[in-house]
Amino acid sequence: MSTTSTEYAHPEALVDADWLEKHLTDDGVRIVESNEDILLYDTGHIPGAVHIDWRTDLQDAVIRDYISPDKFAELCSRNGITPDTTCIFYGDKANWWACYALWAFRLFGHEKVKILNGGRDKWKAEGRPMTREIPKYPATNYPVPARRFDKEIRAFADEALAQSKAGKPLIDVRSPGEFKGEITHMPEYPQEGVLRGGHIPGAKSVPWKTATNEDSTFKSAPELAKIYLEGCGLRPGTDTVVYCRIGERSSHTWFVLTYLLGLDNVRNYDGSWTEWGNKVGAPIERG
Amino acid sequence: MGTYPPKLEAIINLFESLPEVERRETLVSYADNAKKQEPRPGEKFTLEDIRKDEECADTVGVYLQVDDEGKAHFRMTLGPEVQTLTRAMTAILCKGLDGRTPQEILDLPSDFVTRIVGSELVRVRSQTIYYVLSRIKGICKVYLDRQRLAESQVA
Repeated sequence: MSTTSTEYAHPEALVDADWLEKHLTDDGVRIVESNEDILLYDTGHIPGAVHIDWRTDLQDAVIRDYISPDKFAELCSRNGITPDTTCIFYGDKANWWACYALWAFRLFGHEKVKILNGGRDKWKAEGRPMTREIPKYPATNYPVPARRFDKEIRAFADEALAQSKAGKPLIDVRSPGEFKGEITHMPEYPQEGVLRGGHIPGAKSVPWKTATNEDSTFKSAPELAKIYLEGCGLRPGTDTVVYCRIGERSSHTWFVLTYLLGLDNVRNYDGSWTEWGNKVGAPIERG
Repeated sequence: MGTYPPKLEAIINLFESLPEVERRETLVSYADNAKKQEPRPGEKFTLEDIRKDEECADTVGVYLQVDDEGKAHFRMTLGPEVQTLTRAMTAILCKGLDGRTPQEILDLPSDFVTRIVGSELVRVRSQTIYYVLSRIKGICKVYLDRQRLAESQVA
């Protein structure tokens, strides 16, 4: 499968638009669109792409958590996905939600996952084919995953606290204003009910966008290494926790660290600031 | 639940009669038509309010024209990053509120928005479904405040 750079630790985790346009109907490939704009897929998408919504498809409807393994199996089955299907994720916002969906698929042990470098915006800007036709695929019988891989790639609040106390790497990928505690939501976004501003003690501020180029593609491996390895001192084998506000921007950084730089032991604290900033007694640093 | 202008009531009734899939299709259809609400060459407006707020992903312009009978007509411009649902609400409200007085629009309850959008699409990061209505009400309020000020100065 063609990739955009062989310098990355796992170049196979990326596909570029040229490759994807030539392989839209390949057997064993399912293109998955996942967006912040909840009606964007309906306005047009890559031919053959299915839509997976971060909220209604991936999250539990009542409890703040992800769907159960049997619901994940249902989701995959109705989208014609088997454990051998290569899922290629793309979406708006420089692939925030695509990375989030990819990370959620990994939570259930689905290994064959890739990102369309540059996401939806680049694909559309290049005048590549779009359609409003909703594809239909024969349902599969995706086996119910035996477990969720929370322990491996997900961090909870108590683990983030332990990370902070141990002085291990914590990367805050929110905007500088959020990190400093000047604001409690993203610039240009509505307030989402966080009571305290600031960051987890010891966290380093590396906004997600640091890892991307203007066209939403990922920066080169040497550039990423300079930011995260030289700049933050991250090393293979060291536990690293990334967080943002609800876990989508940090999924983007999780993807960069895990697949493009090849760091293992990177976990996404998806509870992120909407949990930490409301949690009674949680230590906070400002500035 | 309040009383709505007839044009808006018709739109609300339409959306409430639709199954979810068709509701989404109709919202997208309205969003496609948002561009038709832009000001046309030569049009004059009583008030213009073009700005970028935290509540919305891009710049939104609201243009109010109040005719000789005191009825309001709206045009709107939307930046490219404005989300689909916001585009849909733009087309819906420009059509549904056309010809009402600024005071009637200001008095309008906002509970109809969820009846149009449906509970499936109302959720975190969709607070912007109310954004266009708040901007339209905002320009109506400015218009009325200025009218009252002018009237008090005359008196």
